Amino acid sequence: MANKTININVPVLARVEGEGALELKISNQHIDELRLRIYEPPRYFEKFLEGRDYYDLPDTVARICGICPVAYQMSAIHAIDAIFDIKATGWIREMRRLMYCGEWLQSHSLHIHMLAVPDFLGFNNVIEMAAVYPGEVNRGLRLQSLGNDLISLLGARSVHPLGVRTGGFYKAPATAAAHELLQRLKIALADAVDLVKWTTALELPDDNQDFTSVALRHTEEYPLNEGRLVSDKGLDIGIAEYQQHFKESHIPHSTALHSLLDGKPYLVGPLARLNINHDKLPAETLALVEQLNIRFPSNNMFHSIIARAIEIHFVIIEAIRILENYQKPESAFIDAPVKAGVGYGCTEAPRGILWHRYELDNAGKITSAIIIPPTSQNQARIEEDIKVSLESLGLDKNEDVLRLHAEKVIRNYDPCISCATHFLKLDLQRAEVHVTQAASLDKKAIRRIKVIGIGSPFGEDKLGWDIVDLLIQDTSRIWNSDRELTFHILDRPGPLLLEHLKNTDKVILVDAIHNTRHTHNLIRIGIDQLDQAGTLISSHGLGIKESLLLAKTLGQLPETIILGIEASIDMTTQEMESCKEKLIETIKQELD
Amino acid sequence: MAAKPKIAVHKFSSCDGCQLAFLNMGEALITLSQRVDIIHFAEAGPVDETTPVDIAFVEGSIATSHDYQRIEQIRNNSRYLVSIGACATSGGIQALRNLADTEQWTAAIYAHPEHIHSLDKSTPIAQHVKVDYELWGCPISTKQLLTVVGSLLSGAQPVVEDDKLCMECKRQQKICVMVSKGEPCMGPVTRSGCGALCPAMGRACYACYGPAENTNANALFTRIEGLGLLNDETTRRFLFINSGAREFHDAGIEGNRKK
Repeated sequence: MANKTININVPVLARVEGEGALELKISNQHIDELRLRIYEPPRYFEKFLEGRDYYDLPDTVARICGICPVAYQMSAIHAIDAIFDIKATGWIREMRRLMYCGEWLQSHSLHIHMLAVPDFLGFNNVIEMAAVYPGEVNRGLRLQSLGNDLISLLGARSVHPLGVRTGGFYKAPATAAAHELLQRLKIALADAVDLVKWTTALELPDDNQDFTSVALRHTEEYPLNEGRLVSDKGLDIGIAEYQQHFKESHIPHSTALHSLLDGKPYLVGPLARLNINHDKLPAETLALVEQLNIRFPSNNMFHSIIARAIEIHFVIIEAIRILENYQKPESAFIDAPVKAGVGYGCTEAPRGILWHRYELDNAGKITSAIIIPPTSQNQARIEEDIKVSLESLGLDKNEDVLRLHAEKVIRNYDPCISCATHFLKLDLQRAEVHVTQAASLDKKAIRRIKVIGIGSPFGEDKLGWDIVDLLIQDTSRIWNSDRELTFHILDRPGPLLLEHLKNTDKVILVDAIHNTRHTHNLIRIGIDQLDQAGTLISSHGLGIKESLLLAKTLGQLPETIILGIEASIDMTTQEMESCKEKLIETIKQELD
Repeated sequence: MAAKPKIAVHKFSSCDGCQLAFLNMGEALITLSQRVDIIHFAEAGPVDETTPVDIAFVEGSIATSHDYQRIEQIRNNSRYLVSIGACATSGGIQALRNLADTEQWTAAIYAHPEHIHSLDKSTPIAQHVKVDYELWGCPISTKQLLTVVGSLLSGAQPVVEDDKLCMECKRQQKICVMVSKGEPCMGPVTRSGCGALCPAMGRACYACYGPAENTNANALFTRIEGLGLLNDETTRRFLFINSGAREFHDAGIEGNRKK
């Protein structure tokens, strides 16, 4: 796989929630190819931030992620504070920590109960699980909603909260509201203890691997907003030095970017944080961890779910500590004059470090933005993990077992929202049998392929029709359960071809191509070459090319391949037959 | 017993935040799952995009060529289609790219731009298929959602709010941030339904709920400029979360041209 390494200062942001798929090629008990594909269309945040005002930043970056908007606001606001020389201390610093506690609480609760635990207890989803474990599911929902209410205390709402501004907050919460949440947090502590014990009792696979953990580390506290970037293999840098050690490259199969630390994959997120910072947990949480039969640091990614539960306990203890001393401040923010400069922000999002860099001009307008989310940092590590995990599980296992295990491995990372993994399609190829077996979780995994013969009932122009007729008799050999293959014969369709391109993933058009040169070459035209194919397709020149270009412009063009044979009026029957054979073989290859 | 109504929640280009209006319902989510069959909701688990449903909720904007096929299929499979959130109703914040040269952006960001299959515009669902009800907002609230679900389940026409935010703000007896502090508040042209959260925080509304009915956006443009904002700053008040909404788009572009 040729992948060009690009410098990190090229602005990049590619989200990962949404559709993901795993492609796996196994031959002779060996994984030849493994690709976690990420499809989420780019949303160009870093680009449209350029030219906007610094004060729009918290409201803009929140929209990158509905699950962790606070993380985006915090990284951004710390970067801007740095440019304006604002040092947030006291009330503002504590409230920023408090708001972040709320986000960890809701995000971790959502992940554990709705996304991860159903795997380990054998349910397809949380709704099924709720029928058998109503108490546990309700406990999860209570914790999640407490987290949301903590965010709302400072941000008025939990998704895209609106209380954060440069230098602090728009408004300080009322003392009564803070006091009420404090009481609820104290009650919730028992839920958190139960949750930690419950996750420890889960039957988790024993899968120890060698990997590098990266997290923020602060001298006095468990990291949320501040600290140095530290790894368990000796890295220890300020956040401004990030780009000298971490490099991103664009892998063709993904709209997210692979990040590497000194050329190698690395882990960010709850387990990495705990591996590096377990000594900074508050005494009460540490005492709880001591009682468990697992020790941190841990090299087993399946301990991530326990790490999340422990962090839930931590944030409740931390939020109680902060709110016990709650008093309304004189001012909820520090005002400072606008100035130009470069600022960095790096905070611990629920899924790991979220790194931002901004440049402002004299008027406070953003001239450049770089945002590196945790999931793109984990992607290389996820691929490595799947490979090692599946090999130790045994590649001879049937594909349902392999798929479920790969899904569990991916979910350990909570890649943004795990809907990516719920959509996981395993495209497993075993080279021994040369068959693509796609285990589809959903019907959408079925590829709809159309083979369309184009022509007219006259002479060599009937070639496209004949080919399709021959193929229909031979479908058994090319049929696969992972796709819906249909054959069509069209008589000079013109623009009506567009109708036939709808609801289709791939189209193979078979046509005769007239020439007078007495050569009978096979021509294969991919859609990208269509523009230059002007002189090639002459048989049904108008319809096909124009229709396809029209479909392309309308965005209705599926993957399309045009296969044709140069045919001439004076071809012998023998020549014609050999052309057909060649063409059928090629089509079968395309269908494989 | 009659079969339970079927619902589906679909995602297009978005931040997933509006689906959280379901996942943040708390125990109401369990109640809902007892009253309806949730056929498709990838974020929560069930995955089945093809079974016909009574209500399909659609989050996100149309941003890739594959989306065209998907949204058509969803429309064909649904009795009611309800688009939820700014992305689905106006193209969302990512519609800011409609005002720029996306191809250039992709080339600037990715080493292999040929592998990025993204349309150059982010467009709302109603531009492609018939939408029965639109819930505006970035993000929508659980209350909006439950109102619509409740109405449809009891066979009544849902009432969708389209009043100006000022009305909601006044009903809550908040102090007007534009009058008292000279804040460039978008309340006079923005749809109510959020709870007037920004004015309650003492800050200007930034129009995340989209245009209200019968707005006079051009007049507000002039008013905001009159507060002392630069012309292009004023333009960005209109071209932000809902830049694809016609009223905001036109006022923003025309106001900017005026200078």
